[in-house]
Order: sequence, then structure tokens, then C-alpha cells
Amino acid sequence: MKTGKSGLIQGGILAALGLAALLSLVIPQLLRERKDPQLLSLSVLLRDSDSSGWAIARQGMEQAADELGAELRFLTLAEAGDSGEQEAVLLREIDGGAAALVVVPADPGALSAALEQWRLICPAVTLESPMEGAAGTVAPDNALLGRQLAQALLEDWDEGEVLLLDTAGSCTGISGRLEAAEAVLTEAGLPVRRAGELPEGARWVMAFESAATLRTAERREAEGRDFALYGVGAATAVTAQLERGNIAAMAAWSDYAAGYLAVRRAVGAARGEEGTATALPFSVLRKEDIYAPENQKLLFPVMSSSGR
Amino acid sequence: MSFFRTLAAKFGERYRRMSIQMVLSLSFTAVAAAGMLLMSVSLIWRFSSASEQLVAENSRRVLAQANLNLDSYLRRMMRISDTVYYRSIKNMDLAEGDLTAPLGLLYEENRDDLVSLAVFDGEGGLVAAVPLSAVKGDAAPVESDWFQAASRSMENLHFSTPHVQNIFDDPDYPYRWVVSLSRHVQLTRDGSTEGGVLLVDMSFNGIEQVCRDVTLEGGGYLYLIDKDGELIYHPRQQLIYAGLLEENNREAASYRDGSRLERFRGQSRQVTVKTVGYTGWKLVGVAPAGSWLASSPQPMLFGLTLLLFSIFLMAFLNFLISARISDPILRLERSIRELDKGLANVEIEEGGCYEVQRLSHAVASMVSTMRHLMDDIIRQEGQKRRSELEVLQSQINPHFLYNTLDSVIWMTESGQQKEAILMVTSLARLFRIALSKGKSIIPLRDELEHARHYMNIQQIRFKNKFVTRIEARPGTEELYTLKLIIQPILENAVYHGCASAEDDGVIRVTAYREGEDLLIDVEDNGLGMRPELAASLLDEDGPQVRTGGSGIGVRNVHQRISLTFGEGYGLSIFSEPDEGTLVRLRLPALSREEANRCQEGEVL
Repeated sequence: MKTGKSGLIQGGILAALGLAALLSLVIPQLLRERKDPQLLSLSVLLRDSDSSGWAIARQGMEQAADELGAELRFLTLAEAGDSGEQEAVLLREIDGGAAALVVVPADPGALSAALEQWRLICPAVTLESPMEGAAGTVAPDNALLGRQLAQALLEDWDEGEVLLLDTAGSCTGISGRLEAAEAVLTEAGLPVRRAGELPEGARWVMAFESAATLRTAERREAEGRDFALYGVGAATAVTAQLERGNIAAMAAWSDYAAGYLAVRRAVGAARGEEGTATALPFSVLRKEDIYAPENQKLLFPVMSSSGR
Repeated sequence: MSFFRTLAAKFGERYRRMSIQMVLSLSFTAVAAAGMLLMSVSLIWRFSSASEQLVAENSRRVLAQANLNLDSYLRRMMRISDTVYYRSIKNMDLAEGDLTAPLGLLYEENRDDLVSLAVFDGEGGLVAAVPLSAVKGDAAPVESDWFQAASRSMENLHFSTPHVQNIFDDPDYPYRWVVSLSRHVQLTRDGSTEGGVLLVDMSFNGIEQVCRDVTLEGGGYLYLIDKDGELIYHPRQQLIYAGLLEENNREAASYRDGSRLERFRGQSRQVTVKTVGYTGWKLVGVAPAGSWLASSPQPMLFGLTLLLFSIFLMAFLNFLISARISDPILRLERSIRELDKGLANVEIEEGGCYEVQRLSHAVASMVSTMRHLMDDIIRQEGQKRRSELEVLQSQINPHFLYNTLDSVIWMTESGQQKEAILMVTSLARLFRIALSKGKSIIPLRDELEHARHYMNIQQIRFKNKFVTRIEARPGTEELYTLKLIIQPILENAVYHGCASAEDDGVIRVTAYREGEDLLIDVEDNGLGMRPELAASLLDEDGPQVRTGGSGIGVRNVHQRISLTFGEGYGLSIFSEPDEGTLVRLRLPALSREEANRCQEGEVL
């Protein structure tokens, strides 16, 4: 009886040791397979027809894709802000096998509805505007940004109406900035007016997206007009307008960080990891702040192709 | 403390219940596994230590090469600065010539590495610059770090940290990152000298290219800092600038040249530092600890596999060896257990190793001795029993002989010669059968004959007060019986049954067979007795019942039968007052051969 029990125990020990030896042979193979995850295909879709304003963000995206094993497809719209086209392009990308999407949504509401059934198959991460059902959003706190930009204007304002350039369309992130700025200005008793285009005679102008800021600044310089422009942007061209004095103050953040974080979140979502919205830090800069060491690092990515 | 005591007690308890094979195999396996583990840990430690040194050596070699390249690059920049200073600035009176042309030539020669060359006077005014010649309206070169560093320490060349050049008015606003090399220069204007600053803006690309492709063991990397720890180059510099990554650059600035281990953000890593000559910059190589502990888990896991497999083999061998040692002991134990159960033909196997063989041999020898001793004891017991029987049988003679001879004398004196002759004849026959050549087991017919003669004598003595009927039923003719077992019963029947009865007595002796037993009933119609008394007659603790005849008690007969044939045989007495008594003798039905064997002392 005792011999039988001993035999069982010894057999158990031998079996356990043999199994452990076998597992230690198998595990490396499994580790090797896990270590080389499949290259993920990510599609990046902007709401603009021109991607030049997103050059720095793209660098950040490429850095993240390189580190995390993803390949990127950058797509723009034929017509800026065309949410219908954006939906169609996104659905085509999902059909094409995209593992995740990074989107600057033209119309977050419509896009959310369009992507509803694909959410589990192809998670989407948004830039600039939050979107319902998105796997994450990388953007500055839009309301805070609008308020701080309005504060910058209040510091300079003496008299006159403030024109708020409403170029948001259905883009909730941009409209969030505008509404927050409008609230601050109204509360401060300033006359405020929204307009889609820059009218003649405006003295105080606020733009809430990079492209509108750049366009307005360029018009100011080209037409020799004299108004104080308060805008947003992190692109080098916008910074140059700030330096040239065509922008009085601008809210800026690291587009590089935005791009990097968006792709990192998208890769995480494609691999089934949970994530949340990421609020990007931003600063409201004036011309004299541009070359402060910290702002240099924020505005001008250190790249071999820096500045181009 | 009590926990350890309890643990030790539990272990001791378990140890006591373990088989010898289990103890041997587990102990050997545990010791072997511990030894192997210790050896493995020692090997891993040695391997890690050697790997760490190799990684450090590799890092030092790589850093030395990077340092050489960087030094070469910086020296080239310094040569450009020297060339501008010693060949152009020192040889030119600014009132008479323009530095733009020689600066332009140099710039063209080195345009891949240079962003701009410029000379400023002591007030920060631009003397000459290429490729751009206009300074931004709001630019203040005097306030720039590079200008102030050159003005502070006039003998040295100064390298700035990377910054975006913001002096020159460029319509493209390229915002180039540069590293500025500045020095104080002596400008000649109208024959008089004045201080100024020569600025060589090196493209950041140049430094980046020197450092970019340098990789260290196990995914290690290299970064470059100035003497204050400010980052000059880092492969993930923009992530650090964007606040998405941290580097231990400030701490690294305090490190001396050489390798060391540091822990940063929960990760252990080897840091190798090499100071770049002249500038005070430091090249810092970072190799994660995993690169020498386990650059990949594969070798570690392979080592683990080897270790586990070795332990497996060792355990297997231990189990086999311990089984070979313990099996003979177990077999020996089993044999002893069988002996203990009383099995006669148990083989004591003398196998196994030397000590176990000796032990088995000793046990076998002991068993053999025990068997001899037991045989002796059995023999002695048999002899003792025979002696007891002989003693019991010898009790018959004196009383009966005396009474009978007394009756013969009396009959002879009274002239009853015929009865006297019959009595003497019966007595002679009685003794002849009683002797039976010394045999204790005799044919049943002789025993019945003996009873008949005895009753003849008693009938004469009691003047035919009773009649005797002796019968041997068919099937009993060839049987044997213990001798002198009926006569004492008859004696009891005569003295206690019939002698004092008023009526004529009848005594019946009937021998018959019941299965494998021989039964002899002795029945009288005398006074009888109470059943309790009848039962007490055979009780060894009860009083000895003796008769007035031969002196052999009923109990004597019972004991003799029981001693000879076993507990199942002997007497049964059935009696009722005034009804008579039946004494039944039960014996095995012995054939001649069995009687002979029994005679020789064998137990049936």
C-alpha cells in the first residue's frame, strides 16, 4: 500500500518535472511569436484637403508607428470638411483591412453613427474633436483653450467689436473653443459677433482652428489690414505669422505629441487595450515667447528636416 | 518560533510514515536539485557578470568611436572657425575690405554642415554674415547665450546647446535647429582693433548624423548632453521635448567617464559615459539591464530547460536506485509478515546490496533456528502428553487390583472356586488387554473385551445385581480407540448407578459410528443425578469424583481423550435423577494406520 502510494508520488514528481521541462521548451516559441506581433495597418484621415498643416503631427505619428509596429496611410479629403466623403473614405479603409483609424472628424456626430457597427472591428481615435464611441481622443481641452485665448484678447482689448470666425461647421472640438471664448468675452461685456468670413473693418478677430488662423493672418498681411488676430495652431507657418506680427496671440501645443499619442492609442485599441481621452497641454503664446527654450521645443520639432 | 516547531513536528511525523524508498529518493532528489540550482544560479551570476562586462566594453568601444567621429566633426567646425578668424578676420581691416566673400567661400565648401557664418562687433552689430546678411529687426545678438559666452571667456571656443536660430531674417522662416560655435575675435577697423564675436552655426543634422546610427547592446542607445546635462542629441529627443518621455540626463551630467549601473523609472540599466574633449559634452550610452541578464529570454529558458531536464533525470535515477535498495528490504519485510501470519513455507530471499543480503541471511538463519526450536517444542510437548497419559493410566492399577484380589480371596475361602476362577481369568484378561504391549491405542474390540471382563468381575462381586449388555454396531469392527476409557465409566455406573439401586440394574455399552467419529454410549438405569451435577463432573475446577473401584475418575477419561485427540473430543454426560445416566464418549474413528500414527505421537 505504502509502496503504491510512494510510486504514485514519485510518478507525480517525475511527470511534473517532465512537464516543466517540456513547457520551458515550448514557452520560448510562444514568446517569440508574441514578440513579433503582426504589423498593424492604420489609416489616418484628416478633415482637410491639404495635409501640410499636419506635417509635425505626422512626424509624431510616424515615430509612434515605427516604435509600435504599425504602418500608416495618410488620407485627405477632396474638399475640406466634407463629412460625407470622410465617412465614405473611412468605410473604404475599414473594408480595406485597416486595423484602426486616426481621424480628425469633420462631423463627429455623423461619423460616430457611420462607424457604429464597425467600432469593435476597427477602433477609431480622434484628433481635435471628441467623438462618441471613439477608442480615444487626443486634443487640448477645447473649452479651456477657448477661454484662455479670450483672456489673451481681453488683455489687449480697448474698444470695438470682437469677431469670432466660425469655421467649425459640424466640428465639435472647434465649436467648443469658440463657444467657450464667446462666453468669456460676453461675460466681460465685449461686443461679440460670429462670422464665417473675415469682414471689412474688424479690429478684433478670433480664429479657432489652424487653417482659419493661417488664412486670416495671410490676408491681414496681404491686404495690409490692421486687426488683432487671436488664433490657434502649432504649424510652423502659423508660428511664422505670429513672429511676423500678423497674429497677436495664439494657442499652441505640440502637434508632434498629438500625432504620437493618437497613433499610440490607436495601436493600443487595435490590440484590445483600454484607453481614455488625452488632454494635450497647450500655451497661449505671443511673438516674444516664440524663442523661449521651452516654446522652441514645443513649436519646432528637432528633426533633421526641421523647419521645412 | 512555535510555527517552526510545529512545522518540524509535522515533518517528523510525515518522515516517520514515509517508506524508505520515498525517504531515499526524495532526499537524494532534493539535494541534487538544490545542488543543481545553486550551480545554475552561480553560472547565471557568472554569465551575467561576464556579459555585463562585455556590454560595458562594447559600450565603451562604441562610445569611443562615436566620440572620435563627433570630435572629428567638432574639430572640423573649429577649423572652420580658425580659418575664418586667422585667415580672414585677422588679415583684414574692415574699413578696407569685406568679410562676406571669404565667409561665403567657406560656407560653400561646408554648406552641408553649416547653417550660417557671421561676425558681430562688440555691440552685437552685424559685420558680415552668409548666407543671409540681414538681421531681424528685433533680434538682439548681444543677449544671446553664444554671444555672452564668447564675450565672457575670450580665449575659448564655445559650443551652445541646440536652439532655433533666430538672428537672421529669412523670408522662408525655416526655423533651423543649430548648435552655435562662438568665439571672441579681434576685429581691425581703420587700423585699430576691437572686440567682436565670430559665430559658426552648425547644422543640428551634423551632430545628429554622428550619433543617430549608433546602437548599443540589447536595444541600447546613445545620447549627448552638455556639461549641465542639457540634451544636445537624443534619439527620441522630440518625445522628451514634448513631455512624453523622460531621460536621466541631469543625473548623467554628474557621472564620471566609465560604466555604471543606474536605476531610472523602475528600470535597471548600464550607463557608459564618455566626455567629448574640449566641449565638456558627454556622450552617454544606455544599455538596458536585460541586455546582459537576458538579451532575450531564450538562453535563460534553454538553461532552465536543461536544469529541469537534469533534475528530471536525477530524480528518475534516484527513484530507480532507491527502489533497488529498498525493494529487497520490502520483500524481506513481506516475508517476515507472512511468517508472522503463520505460513510455513516462506522463502527468505537473500537479494539486494551487501548489507541487505547480510540482514536477509541473518533473518533466514534466525527463522531456521526458530523452526528447529519449534519442532523441538512440539516434540517435547508430545512426549510430555504421553507422559501425562501414562501417569493417568497408571492410576488404574492399585485400587482395582486390591479390591479384586480381596474378592478372589474371599471367594476362595468360602469355596466358590468356580467364581474365583472366573474372576481370576477375567482379571488376567483384563491386565493383558490393559498392558497391550504398552500401546495406548488399541482396537475397539479389545477395549470392549476389556469392559466385558471388568463387568464379569464386578458382577461376581455384586452378586449379579445388574446385567451388562455390550454391543458393537456394524462399521466399528476395524476401528481403534484409546484404551481403558470404558472401564472407568462402567465403574461409575456400577458404584453410583446400580450398586445402591433397589431394582436390578442394566448397564448398556454401545459403540457406533457417526460420520468420522466413533461414539461409545455407556448407559445405566441407576439412580441418575441432577443435570447440574452431571455437568460439573467434567469441570476441571470442580471436585475430583472418585469411585470406590479402580479409582479412575470420569474427568480423567475426558482429559485423556481431549489430550490425545483435541478439544472436540471427550465425554458428554446426560442424566436425570431416578432415570439413569448416559455417558457418551466421542473419539475420532481411527483406522489402523491412523492409530499407528497417533501412537507414534503425530497430531491428527
